[in-house]
Amino acid sequence: MASVASVTPASAATAVTVAEPPKVSRGVKLTLFYLLLLIIAIIFLTPYLFSIFAAFKPLDQILSQSPARPPTSPTWANFKDLFTEYDFGRYLANTLIVTVILTAGQVTFSMMGAYAFARMEFPGREGLFWMYLATLMVPNVVTLIPLYVMFAKAHLLNTYWAIFLPYVLGVPQVVFLMRQYFMTIPKEVMEAARLDGCSETRILWRIVVPISRPIIITATLLAFVFGWNNFLWPLIVTNSNSLNVLTVGNANFSSNFAVQWNLILAGSLVALIPMVILFSIFQRYIVRSISLTGINR
Amino acid sequence: MTAAAAPILVPKHEKTADTAEAAERRQVRSAFTFLAPSLIGVVLFLVIPVIFVIILSLTQWNLLTPIRWVGFSNYANIFRFDGFGHSLLVTAYYVLLNIPFQTVLALGLAMLLNNKLPGSGLIRVICVLPFLATPVAMGIVWNWFFSPTTGIINELLGHIGITGPAWLSNSATAMPVIAFANIWQYVGYNMLFFLAGLQAVPAALYEAAGLDGASKVQQFRRVTLPLLRPALLFVLVTSVIGSFQVFDTVYVMTDGGPGNATQVANLNIYNTAFAGFRIGEASAMSVVLFVLILIITVAQFRYFNRRTVYEIA
Repeated sequence: MASVASVTPASAATAVTVAEPPKVSRGVKLTLFYLLLLIIAIIFLTPYLFSIFAAFKPLDQILSQSPARPPTSPTWANFKDLFTEYDFGRYLANTLIVTVILTAGQVTFSMMGAYAFARMEFPGREGLFWMYLATLMVPNVVTLIPLYVMFAKAHLLNTYWAIFLPYVLGVPQVVFLMRQYFMTIPKEVMEAARLDGCSETRILWRIVVPISRPIIITATLLAFVFGWNNFLWPLIVTNSNSLNVLTVGNANFSSNFAVQWNLILAGSLVALIPMVILFSIFQRYIVRSISLTGINR
Repeated sequence: MTAAAAPILVPKHEKTADTAEAAERRQVRSAFTFLAPSLIGVVLFLVIPVIFVIILSLTQWNLLTPIRWVGFSNYANIFRFDGFGHSLLVTAYYVLLNIPFQTVLALGLAMLLNNKLPGSGLIRVICVLPFLATPVAMGIVWNWFFSPTTGIINELLGHIGITGPAWLSNSATAMPVIAFANIWQYVGYNMLFFLAGLQAVPAALYEAAGLDGASKVQQFRRVTLPLLRPALLFVLVTSVIGSFQVFDTVYVMTDGGPGNATQVANLNIYNTAFAGFRIGEASAMSVVLFVLILIITVAQFRYFNRRTVYEIA
């Protein structure tokens, strides 16, 4: 196949960029392409745009005006209310603390496990790895009740611990993702280091970590998004205002008799901003590391 | 040398730290040290709970009074009294609304955006934005969009002379709206996996297929799709498992209503366990849902494995 391609570099050049046959005129196709992109952008951005509009409107205007109308006199009152009338600063701090602990632990411990599975010899490796894979299929909801009972018996309900403990020691999904990546590192690298008398800890931190930055960033982002947006588990294990995370606090604005749209929309905006910043900085690593790993076996 | 070494092998061995055996033993020790945290996590928070939930499903318990052994009666009762059969049907309906659209759209988006034209990168980020927003918050925003009185959807429909339905309080439209909200939320995330899969397809394959006179459709069916099988398997398996467990959006958008038209399995489990405190029944529901998801997941793996073998090689 490769030899065929090398015969026709010229004709390939035009086809590769668009990955479509060059039958229709290029101008028409580009116009259609960008029209499609515009429609996609509208579909995905409109909800945010209207939410941003609404976050700067008082509640009565949100209810009476069309969402498509930009605020006539933008107000920061909703944001101020969140932080003064309600404990939104507390929710934000809770979420940040819990998510940072969860992410740091999950990524570090999953990485250690993944390295052991990928590049170390020990008895029972295959069996243990299959156990990890099998638990990958266990739906969240199945473990919900027993975990709740376990945490209740351990008197850990209504603590920070309860919110992050089930995820902080490493989860099979991330172990699997990182193991697939580490498998692409040549064995010889580790063997050479071992012969030089390097300890495994040193090999992991000094050799594997530096060359595995894309997958570590990906795992970190996925863990962070998961922790930041986790809803059902924190909802179940905490029931005091001082321990609320953003998702639970935000849902509470709507579970009352009247939905406080202004607060919810301003609150979601505050919650979204850190995610967007993180993701736009690191998105290129994600695609790269996914393509290098698991799903292509 | 060899003859002399043999008799004193054992005592000498302990002193030379770098013999192969000692190094091996050291590696095993560090391997288990590395493995320990995640192993404890997996056993404590996944393996033991699965065993525990099966045991709980055979009991009657409200978290306060002593646990009472009731055998398999919970499994009959959840279908007879708790409408769990209805919940499973509602869940299946949701999965059927969600998965086909979401998968096809994600694949289409990936193919559209798999190029280096200016703007594609930006649109990729925009498509993934919803995945970063909390489903709870977005569910609330959609509530507002689909509100019959103040919603933008019915306002737009009004402009072209259509009186829109009361979307979320109408049992015919409530579930499609929830499915739409979730597709919007996760299509970009799933696109990432297809995008990664597409980038691994050598461009030479398309050139060769083009030279052989393969049409666009043929190229898609014979080149793109077979090579995307691993990505497709991954996306289907994870999104089917995920959509069988749909909770957040339903909880904030309809809370199971109108009536119990959107009472999905997970919501029924949640209500039974944490509002009704009937832990035995809720555990039985979890076990049934787990077995269902397991069967469907294994079926997907088998289907894909049968069809992948010769095409990957």
